[in-house]
Amino acid sequence: MIKISQLEKIYRTEEVETIALNKLNMEVNDGEFVAVMGPSGCGKSTLLNILGLLDDPDAGSFMFNNIEVAHFNERKRADLRKHNIGFVFQSFNLIDELTVFENVELPLIYTGVKSADRKKRVEAVLDKVQIMHRRNHYPQQLSGGQQQRVAVARAVVNNPKLILADEPTGNLDSSNGNEVMQLLTELNEQGTTIVMVTHSEHDARYSHRIIRMLDGQTVTQNILI
Amino acid sequence: MLKNYLKVAFRNLWRHRIFSFINIMGLTVGLTAFFLIFMYVKFELSYDSFHPNADRIYRVVCDLKTPTETINADGPSWAIAPHIKNDFPEIESAIRYTNASLLVRKGDIKFQEDNTLFADSAFFHVFGFKLLKGNPATVLKDKFSIVLTETAAKKYFGKTNPIGQTVLLTDGNFPSTITGIMEDMPENSIVKADMLVSMTTLTEDFNKGIDDQWGNYGNRTYLLLKPGTSAKALQAKLPAFLEKRNGDEMKKFQMYPTLFLEPLRDVYLRSTRDGSKTGNITNVYIFSIVAVFILLIACFNFVNLTTARSTERAKEVGIRKVVGAGKFQLARQFIGESIILCLIAFILSVIFSALLLPLFNQLSGKIISHNIFSHPAYLLLLFLTSIAIGILAGIYPALVLSSFQPVTVLKGRFATGVKGILLRKGLVVTQFTISIALIIATIVVYNQMNFMRSQDLGFNKDQKLILDTHGDSSKTALMQKVSTLPGVLSTSMSGSVPGGGNPGAYSQVENTKGEMQIANLDLYFVDYDYIPQYKMKIIAGRAFSRDFGSDTTQAMIVNEAAMKMFGYTTPQQIIGKKFDQWGRKGMIIGVVKDFHFRSLQEVIKPLSLRIEPNGCSLITANVSPKNLPSTIASIENAWKTMIPNRPFSYYFLDEFFDKQYRSEDRFGRLFLNFAVLAIFISCLGLLGLASYSTMQRTKEIGVRKVMGASVSNIVNLLSKDFLRLVLISFVIAGPLAWYFMNKWLHGFAYRTNVSWWIFVAAGITALLIALLTVSFQAIKAAVANPVNSLRSE
Ligand SMILES: Nc1ncnc2c1ncn2[C@@H]1O[C@H](COP(=O)(O)OP(=O)(O)OP(=O)(O)O)[C@@H](O)[C@H]1O
Ligand SMILES: [Mg+2]
Repeated sequence: MIKISQLEKIYRTEEVETIALNKLNMEVNDGEFVAVMGPSGCGKSTLLNILGLLDDPDAGSFMFNNIEVAHFNERKRADLRKHNIGFVFQSFNLIDELTVFENVELPLIYTGVKSADRKKRVEAVLDKVQIMHRRNHYPQQLSGGQQQRVAVARAVVNNPKLILADEPTGNLDSSNGNEVMQLLTELNEQGTTIVMVTHSEHDARYSHRIIRMLDGQTVTQNILI
Repeated sequence: MLKNYLKVAFRNLWRHRIFSFINIMGLTVGLTAFFLIFMYVKFELSYDSFHPNADRIYRVVCDLKTPTETINADGPSWAIAPHIKNDFPEIESAIRYTNASLLVRKGDIKFQEDNTLFADSAFFHVFGFKLLKGNPATVLKDKFSIVLTETAAKKYFGKTNPIGQTVLLTDGNFPSTITGIMEDMPENSIVKADMLVSMTTLTEDFNKGIDDQWGNYGNRTYLLLKPGTSAKALQAKLPAFLEKRNGDEMKKFQMYPTLFLEPLRDVYLRSTRDGSKTGNITNVYIFSIVAVFILLIACFNFVNLTTARSTERAKEVGIRKVVGAGKFQLARQFIGESIILCLIAFILSVIFSALLLPLFNQLSGKIISHNIFSHPAYLLLLFLTSIAIGILAGIYPALVLSSFQPVTVLKGRFATGVKGILLRKGLVVTQFTISIALIIATIVVYNQMNFMRSQDLGFNKDQKLILDTHGDSSKTALMQKVSTLPGVLSTSMSGSVPGGGNPGAYSQVENTKGEMQIANLDLYFVDYDYIPQYKMKIIAGRAFSRDFGSDTTQAMIVNEAAMKMFGYTTPQQIIGKKFDQWGRKGMIIGVVKDFHFRSLQEVIKPLSLRIEPNGCSLITANVSPKNLPSTIASIENAWKTMIPNRPFSYYFLDEFFDKQYRSEDRFGRLFLNFAVLAIFISCLGLLGLASYSTMQRTKEIGVRKVMGASVSNIVNLLSKDFLRLVLISFVIAGPLAWYFMNKWLHGFAYRTNVSWWIFVAAGITALLIALLTVSFQAIKAAVANPVNSLRSE
């Protein structure tokens, strides 16, 4: 599904030049659950943003489903993204002005799904993440675990082929964290490819494979299964 | 999708109530002010356009050149209209009218009709005033025919049909017939009257021969040109026409008129021949600019507050982009929100305008509209303006917001760019520049008004009660009676009083070379007591005196301006020189110190004063301030016994004189109101920005307090930036206001300076208001418990 070679990302500020990704190579197959680990600042989030087409690399190749996307412009990237990729963030990133239901509904609106259809699909995923009873609440009225479950629901409502999760349990206690990991595992079992950045060895054990990074490069790849 | 946007928009409005309130309020006030001024300007521009033939109607005006001066008259001589049509086939009609005040009686009902016109019979053919009863072609044909307005007719006839009924005109008891009833003349008409009397009444009876008097002025003449006629071409032919008809007389009297044609629709705003009685295009421009400024200030608020809050919305933008929103979709969403705000402001401003209209009518001194809903086109325009503001003011914030990169904003290390801050500062500076300039302008206007009121006029206008006898035959007897009443200190009789009109007379005065120099002199008919009573100062020669019998026919007093006009440098030199004026010949016996017989907008003109009992009709009674009501009552009693035919009326000279400044007064008051509004809106914006930036710095303030900063440290920290902006605005506004207000003041012959204290006052006012606004927020933040602010992060 994903094939990256010689990928580079360099941040330039006035004083320093940071090489966030340094000729990085990596592959992720359909249906895999991959964990990315490494010390803070090694480029994990940068990688994830590029995988999610939120950011573009400075050099190298990025094949997504056998299409070269490294050079895509913003509109093309947005198009590809909204149909194929779901995101889960450490800090949930729900829109405060929208209810649980409306937050989850948002991706469907942007992909142009009909209203009646939307309702069915949103209710289905809310059921799946067991937050149906809170559908009319606003994000601030939910606990962190509940907010993250809503974020997961929002990430999957469009049936994306790939879910990118950046420290999804980073702000959660262990029981809430386990619930979210459980959810991700279920989704993976149903066929969704998942790439997850984490600092927790415990969480990483839910995955099939761990990619370790250091200074913008992959170091080792442990196969867990 | 739309539903989702609306939902977000309204929830956002509600969650940030204060911001929404400030935003909507500023916009509402701005739109309301804009709309009211717009209606006012529209009204001023609408003058005389209701006549179906308005484009073909021209006023004939005249520059009259004497060997001494050129007089800009608002009408030609009486002979022009009757003769001009024969010579020029392109003229469809030529009419005259002249103002009069006539006594009208029907049985016991009597009124002094002050707004009367003698009008030529084609009046209703040229003008579009609606006749409700009567035949427009004939109502003003026969002498002693009267057309009344509906309102005037009611006074005499109530509900009965007035047509064919008879009333008595003047104290000569001329029976006259009501031949027509017209609609009341509209407010936006320069021709205004309650009663029209056929011109033939003058030409065939009161003033026979006037039709052929080429040297007699004092009427207004209008031409209706045939379609397709060029007024310019016609005007070019007029000198030859005058030469042919009147050349010999022009040479003999050395009075050379030049005729000009003014388009009817330009008369009210653009003609300079009516003094301050009509409108003024400059004021219309000034108000239009003020309206646009106020709208701009409101828009800037809007842009400012919205972009200031963009950091808050950055996260929403990031998330929306992550889940699939395109840049265009987001921009549309934010512009949509801005339009919603503007629509709310639109609805509110329609309500406000409707409620404020009566007040605004009062302020502007005329009914510019009875009901805003009777102008659907104006409302539509306001609606479109609101939408346009919504789009324009929304574009910038929308572009800023929609271009946020989700990677950056979701990381939370987002900061507004320097560009955004600069723009916001620029807008605040513009707002305050406009506001400060308006404050300065207002002070200058009020200062000038005050100056004109307190200026030494050269005569005493206090405690003077004026009775207009309209030349009644019992006027002298009445004055004698009034002078004996308790509470009346002195009396005099004259043809004119300062602030009112006076004739201009064809005169010849011996100049320094010993020639009889021809000039048009303003003329006051007075009696022996007038000059002492008005405390006018004789600076050479003597005042009129009963000791000199010849004073009644052979004496003239002139003012300093007249003395200078004839070439004399000291007043003594003109004493004893000869004059010849309106059939009287004699000597100049005195020079009176210049006094302001017109408003201070005009230079004091050369004036002559003569004793002429026949020309006097105004009794001036100096009354004691004690027991004034009973004094007035006894004067009324005297009036009723001496001239029972006329309704009693009087006025006080000081009020009468100040009436000349009515339009300046209104101008000042309107200006003050709009300056206050501009400041108010600017401060709303400042309040919003201040509270926003304070909110953003809550954590910083908390940390600083924990570190030991005092409340004043913090207030200082938060206010400094804004105050600097106000100072910059002041530096820009000062010279601008100085330049424009100097220009404005040049419209006054006697004026104050734009002195430095005005700038200081305006600067301090703006600074104080801004300081109050900003520190209100800053103090609130500074006294808050730091524990709370730190926790809220
Ligand atoms: N916008 C940016 N401008 C400059 N440097 C950046 C920017 N974003 C990231 N970096 C740098 O790039 C490197 C990689 O950052 P990245 O966020 O990918 O690290 P990370 O592995 O996700 O760390 P963490 O585990 O702390 O989240 C870091 O050294 C960071 O300082
Ligand atoms: Mg990271």
